[in-house]
Amino acid sequence: MDTEALGAISAAVEEGDTDTLISAVTAALESVPPIDIIQNGMMIGLKKIGDMFGRGEIFLPEMLMAAEAFQEAMKVVEPKLIESGQTIESSGKVVFGTVVTDIHEIGKNIVITLMKTHGFDVVDLGANVSPTTFVDEAEKYGADVIAMSALMTTTMTYQKDTIDYLKEKGLRDKYIVLVGGGPVNPEWAEQIGADGSSDSAVGAVELATRLIANKKRGGNPA
Amino acid sequence: MINFIDVCDRAATGPMMIQKDYDTKVFIPALRRAIKKYDIKYDRKELVNTDDTLADRIFEAAVEFYSEVGTYITDTERVIQFTKPEILEGVEDAPKEAYFGEGPDRCVMKGRMPDSDELPYCHVGSGTNTTEENALRLVESYARISKAKTISIPIINTLGHIRTAAGAPTEVFASIRAMQYGREGCRRAGRPGLGIIDHVSSASTGVSTIASSAPQFGARPSDGWLVSPFAELKTDYSSLNQTAYLTAWGANIGQEAGPILGGYAGGPEGLAIVNTAYSLHGILVIRATYHLIYPIHMTHVCSSHPDVLWATSLSTQAIARNMGVPYYTLLYAAAGAATKMYFDEALACLLMLIASGSGIEDVHPGRAKITDGCTPVDMEFTCQVGHACKGLTRKEADKLLKKIVPKYADKLAGAPLGEKVDECYDLDYFKPKPHFEKLYAEVLEDIKSEFGIDLVRY
Repeated sequence: MDTEALGAISAAVEEGDTDTLISAVTAALESVPPIDIIQNGMMIGLKKIGDMFGRGEIFLPEMLMAAEAFQEAMKVVEPKLIESGQTIESSGKVVFGTVVTDIHEIGKNIVITLMKTHGFDVVDLGANVSPTTFVDEAEKYGADVIAMSALMTTTMTYQKDTIDYLKEKGLRDKYIVLVGGGPVNPEWAEQIGADGSSDSAVGAVELATRLIANKKRGGNPA
Repeated sequence: MINFIDVCDRAATGPMMIQKDYDTKVFIPALRRAIKKYDIKYDRKELVNTDDTLADRIFEAAVEFYSEVGTYITDTERVIQFTKPEILEGVEDAPKEAYFGEGPDRCVMKGRMPDSDELPYCHVGSGTNTTEENALRLVESYARISKAKTISIPIINTLGHIRTAAGAPTEVFASIRAMQYGREGCRRAGRPGLGIIDHVSSASTGVSTIASSAPQFGARPSDGWLVSPFAELKTDYSSLNQTAYLTAWGANIGQEAGPILGGYAGGPEGLAIVNTAYSLHGILVIRATYHLIYPIHMTHVCSSHPDVLWATSLSTQAIARNMGVPYYTLLYAAAGAATKMYFDEALACLLMLIASGSGIEDVHPGRAKITDGCTPVDMEFTCQVGHACKGLTRKEADKLLKKIVPKYADKLAGAPLGEKVDECYDLDYFKPKPHFEKLYAEVLEDIKSEFGIDLVRY
C-alpha cells in the first residue's frame, strides 16, 4: 500500500480540493488498487471531515466542498473499481427528501452530506416529495431507510401520510423511517409511528447507523 | 429605490442556475471572500461585540456579499441581482419607522443604536404551535401584558381532531381562525387596537396569507405580515405574491429570516454577514417596513450558544449603526419553559440584544419545538428586562454575559424539556401555577443578587 499517495488523497478530500484530488487519484491508480484508493484514502479524508463537523470544528461549506471533491474523484475511480470486480460496502441505503408542499432543503442537505461522509449511499429526492414518491423510490433503490424532513408545522403532517401509505401497502416493516426538521420532536415521531427523529445531523447519522445495525441483527429497528 | 415590479422582472429574467450551484459556486465562495476581504474574525474574547469598526465592516461586507449573490428564486431558478449603488440607495430609502395598531394601542417601532438609553421595543407572544382549544386564551394572555407594544399569535395546528396541512383547505381555515382568535383575544384583554405583527404564522402559503388577511376576519394594514425566505437567501413566487398583495394594500411587511450557524453561512463570522444581508434582501425584495431575525445554532438548535450570541450582537450593531431600520430579534433557548436554565439563557440573549440596539421578543423555550411550549411569564420577563436594562452598554452586557453564559453553555445538549403552558400556567386566572410562581420569584431574586438587576413585576 502506498501510504504517501493515500495520505495525499485523504488530505485533498479534507481540503475539498477537487483538482489536487483528481490528480492524486489518477496518479495512484497506476500502482494502487482502486478499492484501496477509496477505502484507505478518500474515505479516510471524508470520515475525518465528518468527525470534525460533528465536533463543530468545521461547518457545512467545508463538508460540502469535501463531498463534492469526493464525488468528482469517484467518477475517475469507479470505472476501475468495476473493472476490478470489487465493491465497496455501504453503511446503508437511504432515500431522503423534504415532504410535499415544503421546499426547505438545508436541513436535509446537511444530514445527507454528513451521511455520505459516513459511507451511506443516499438518494436525494429533493423537496416537495409526495408520500407515494418516497415509497416508490425506496422500493426502486432497495433502501434501508426512508428519511423525511419537514420545516413547518403544517408540512410535518405529510410525514405521517407517508408512514400511513407504507402501512396501506404492507411495507411498513420493510423500512426504517426517520423524521426530522424544525418542528419535529420525539413526541411527534412516536405519535406518527416513525422509528426515530433527531435534532441534529450528527444525531441523525448515529440513529441511522444504530437502527440499521439492529435491523441487520434481526431486531426491532427502534 | 428600485420598484417592486422591476424586482419581479429580475426574478423572471436574472441569471439562471440550479440551486446547488447557487449554494456552492456563488453563495459560499462570495461569503468566504467577504470574510477575508473585510477581515472578520471571532477571537472568542467577547460575547457581545464592542468594536464599532468591526460592526461597520460587517455592514460593508454584507453589501458587497449581497451585490454578488442577490436572492435566488426557486420557481424560476434565477437570481435577482442588485448593484452596490442600488443596495445603498435601498438602505437610504428604506422605512425607518413602522407604525402598528390603532387608537390607544398604536405604537411605533424604530431603529435603535447600540448602548442607547432608549427603551427597547418590547414585542411578545409566540408564533409557535398550539391547539385550537388553547389559541384564544393564549392570545388574551399575551395581550394582557401591559408593557408589550405588539404581539405575535400562535400557529393553530389542529381543527378539532383534524391536523392542518400546508397547501390544503385546512390551512386556509386554520389561518383564518388564527386571525379571528388573535383579534378577539386582543379585544378580551381590553386592547382591541393592539398590533399583531406575525401575520399569519398558521399560513405557509400565499393563498392562506391572503385569505386570512381579509378585513372581515379582523386583519388591518396596521398589523404586520412576516414574509420568510429559505436558507439561505432564497425565496419563491408564493412569498413574492404575498409582497405583491401587501404592498398593494399598504400593509406593514416584515422581513423574517432564521440563518443557521454551521449551515451555508458557516461559522460566526459568516453568520454575522448573512444576518445583515437578510435585511438588504428584506428592503429590496420583500419591501420590508420592519425586520425580524432569528438565528440558530445548527447542532444545538438554539440561539443562546456563545457563537450565535456574538454573531448576532455584531450583525445587530451593523444594522443599527448603518441602516437604522425598525428591527427586533427572536432568539431560542434550549431549555424548556418553567426551568431556571431557560431564564439564564433568556437573560443572556436579552441583555445582548438590548445593548446591541435591537428590539426584543420573548426568548422561546425548548428550541420552539414544543406545542404550547411558551408561557406568558417568559413574555413578562422580557418586558421586565427591557425596562430594567435600557441604557445597558455593550461593555456592561459583555461583562454580565461572561458570568451568565457559563451557567448553561455546557448543558445545551441535555437541556431540560421543561413544562407546557397548561402544566405551569393557569389560563383561566392568567397567572403562573404555584410551583412556577415560586420558581420565578427565586429567579428574580437570583438575578438581583448575582447581577444587580432589579426586575420589577408589572
